[in-house]
Amino acid sequence: MKKYYGSVSADLAAVDGRKRLNMDKIMTVLCFVLLMIIVVIPIVMIIYNAFFNEGKLEVEMFVQQVTEKKNLDAMKNTLVIALLTTILGTIMGVFYAWLLGRSDIPAKGLMRALFNIPYMFPPFLGAMAWDMMFNGRSGYINKWLVQLFGLKSMPININSVWGIVFVEVSYYFPFVFMQVVSALERMDPTLEESARISGARQRQVIWKITLPLVKPAISAGALLILTTSLAHFGVPAILGYAKRIYTLPTRIYAVIYNSGGSFDGIRQGAALSVMLVVVVSAALILQNRILAAGSYDIIKGKSMRPTLIKLRGAKLPLFLLAILTLVLIVIVPLVMIVLISFLKAYGLPLELKNFTLDQYKAVFSMGGTIDSIRNSLFVSITAGIICMFLGTLVAYVVQKIKPKGKGALEVISMLPYAIPGTVLSIGVILAWSGRIAGINLYNTIWIILVAYLARYLSFSMKTSSAALLQVHSSLEEASRVCGASHTESLADITLPLIRPAMVSGFFLIFLPAMREVTTSILLYGPHTRTLGVQIYTLRDAGMIPQAAALATVAIGIIIILNTIVTKLTRDRKGV
Amino acid sequence: MANVTFDNITFRYGNNTVLEHFSLDVESGTIVCLVGPSGCGKTTLVRALLGLIKPETGSITVGDRVLFDAKKRINVPAEKRNIGIVFQDYAVWPHMTVLENVSYPLKKQRRPKEEIRQRAMHALEQVHMTEYANHLPNQLSGGQQQRVAIARALVVDSDVLVMDEPITNLDAKLREEMLLEIRMIQKRLNATILYITHDQQSALQLCDKMAIMQQNGTLCQYGSDEEIILHPANRFTFEFIGVSNFIPVVKEPNGMMLDCGDRIPYAGEVPAEAAQGGYELGVRPNDIVFDNTSPLKARVDSRVFLGSEYNYFLSVGQKQIRVQQSMLDARTKGIANEGETVGIRFLNARFYPARKGAETA
Repeated sequence: MKKYYGSVSADLAAVDGRKRLNMDKIMTVLCFVLLMIIVVIPIVMIIYNAFFNEGKLEVEMFVQQVTEKKNLDAMKNTLVIALLTTILGTIMGVFYAWLLGRSDIPAKGLMRALFNIPYMFPPFLGAMAWDMMFNGRSGYINKWLVQLFGLKSMPININSVWGIVFVEVSYYFPFVFMQVVSALERMDPTLEESARISGARQRQVIWKITLPLVKPAISAGALLILTTSLAHFGVPAILGYAKRIYTLPTRIYAVIYNSGGSFDGIRQGAALSVMLVVVVSAALILQNRILAAGSYDIIKGKSMRPTLIKLRGAKLPLFLLAILTLVLIVIVPLVMIVLISFLKAYGLPLELKNFTLDQYKAVFSMGGTIDSIRNSLFVSITAGIICMFLGTLVAYVVQKIKPKGKGALEVISMLPYAIPGTVLSIGVILAWSGRIAGINLYNTIWIILVAYLARYLSFSMKTSSAALLQVHSSLEEASRVCGASHTESLADITLPLIRPAMVSGFFLIFLPAMREVTTSILLYGPHTRTLGVQIYTLRDAGMIPQAAALATVAIGIIIILNTIVTKLTRDRKGV
Repeated sequence: MANVTFDNITFRYGNNTVLEHFSLDVESGTIVCLVGPSGCGKTTLVRALLGLIKPETGSITVGDRVLFDAKKRINVPAEKRNIGIVFQDYAVWPHMTVLENVSYPLKKQRRPKEEIRQRAMHALEQVHMTEYANHLPNQLSGGQQQRVAIARALVVDSDVLVMDEPITNLDAKLREEMLLEIRMIQKRLNATILYITHDQQSALQLCDKMAIMQQNGTLCQYGSDEEIILHPANRFTFEFIGVSNFIPVVKEPNGMMLDCGDRIPYAGEVPAEAAQGGYELGVRPNDIVFDNTSPLKARVDSRVFLGSEYNYFLSVGQKQIRVQQSMLDARTKGIANEGETVGIRFLNARFYPARKGAETA
């Protein structure tokens, strides 16, 4: 039989014919080009510079870095901290998820809201607060305990691996908590009821039925803790530096910082980055194995009312435990930061006569502070908006146009999700400080923006992708048949339908970008500090009360923004 | 309104051929039901007509307008084809009100505002949905959404209306109502309707003509419903429309035998080609009658009363067959009881080549 056309594709793209450049093709090409610039080039630059020097293969530097004791120690610390954080955070998350999701503990709504706070709270500010209380040399509570009991040395030292683990757990357990709580709520209650009817005791039901059924949710949350902790910079930087406890991300920062930003330093950082990426990838592969082993489809989309388990005598103690946990991980650090921000000087006793508003005045009369807030707002909003559109574009190409190589497109856009912020920064430095086409963005705000784009693109792509999957292709086809051109049907049907998801994708980027420190700490220049960097450098310079004052302001901004976002997204639910 | 001609349409997804040299001519002002098992290419054909996919060969013509021609490289884009469609899943836009949904095709034709409103309300009237004009689709039931989809297809004077399984999601009573409604609309507008379904019952109720499609994407038979039921062109049509019994036949020295585990002599006429072996006898349950004078005996396994008929399972040798006895027949000749042995006669036996590897019962 004679073939009239080279290939027959079975989607809307084919409808516009092949006569001229159509919109689908433009979008597809645009996607590839932008992802190439934003994601691929930095990553390629890291790998290239880790192994090549001035165009020649040179493995000695890499081997030397990877075998150096300091770096191996850092790797060991990274793994130990991440594993301990994951295990403890998962246990804590599952326990409280069960308590709030399945038991008759009082004040559930309020507690659930409070348990989500650590999720939006920047962990490095928490680390600052805990350092103020339990620093091995000068922690306020440490000193107070020494006085009270006449101890010879400080009883608790937060500047240790266990201290780092403690702080990370208290900010990362919500990853598991949120996943599991929603899985528990969507679980069909008859599954547990039939176990009871078959003669199982309450305890057996929990262990043999409930927990195995929410296992996928648990491991998904645990992976999130693991990868986040492996890549995390803030907490180990604040708590570990004093005692020279390094993790890979802080070690990378130290190497570059100590070399004064020289090319050799950056190359060493690139070598360490490769090491870190290998560790994170191994974790991701491991997780894939575990998740693939057990997946259940028993958890249904529609909500059902699960049977609540009566705690009886344990009700009051467990309630108090939950309250105590909340106070410890949410309220105590917050109060501590606010208190310190009012101190005339760090180290003075926390008494009313030592309180002043001078630190706030000082912070805001400093040139950099207002700039840093403005910078953060600018890069967060810009990155949010660009990612919102770019993520939607990639999602549309992957979900609806389905060109050849859509798999590659998807992988590329999700890649930065698995790549630690520190690593990404190095890639961006290597790529955009004059080595490619003479483009030099170093020390400008644009280099931070480019890094944020790469880092957060997957967030908006995920939400838009999920929304596009909900938009059945027949909706767009119906509008075509009703007389709308391809562009018109995009504008009239598809975009309005995914607009809520696009907006929430924006906030999903804007909020974390506002408090970001990991990426920008390596990229900031004299005039391009972000809010996070400004707090970090103030503290690093020993101006702890001023850092606390700015942190208080930052927390205020975050709380206000979060409230606005919750209001906005709630109003949009109907669509 | 216009006639629709598919000529020699071939379409593949990769190596998977969905339609092969498919031709069909739908006359103007008729309802043609396209019937076939799931996955036979019905929806693909419709999508080719709508311009949502591009066939490899052939042409599609509506009236005197060529919408697609592979040789002449004509491919009118979907938005310019002027065909009304009711999608299987309605495809009612969830972010627009009922009125906005129905107005949309007119808006795309850049009609004056007043005319749009008038015609949209008129279309809603036709499907009895005027009072829901300002509702959002998520406030409507499935049946109501479906009627919105029909109104949206009716609102412009399309050359052809296509309905892709439009009523499968409705309950039995509403389904009946909608079928009548579709018939009424067709009469009023003298519309050409291409109605896609795998449900032969509604097809029989609705159509002027039926087109039976086979699994491999070819047209099996095209004709009036009587023709298709009474004179099935081949085994596929016979089996697909209605219930059927199949018994293998073999030729032995002393005459034709039914192979039911045991060999049982068959006295009826057998065409010459069927006598050569590899053939099966096919008979509909309502073409089997009880007749104790017949030499062919069967045992009654079970009997169920279905309101307008009796449904039996009989054993002929090792083979179980299904028999339907109409009320009239039951009244005049009496019913058979479970466990009894009865004589049976095949009224309208057909002979088809046996299908390889398939269990026929």
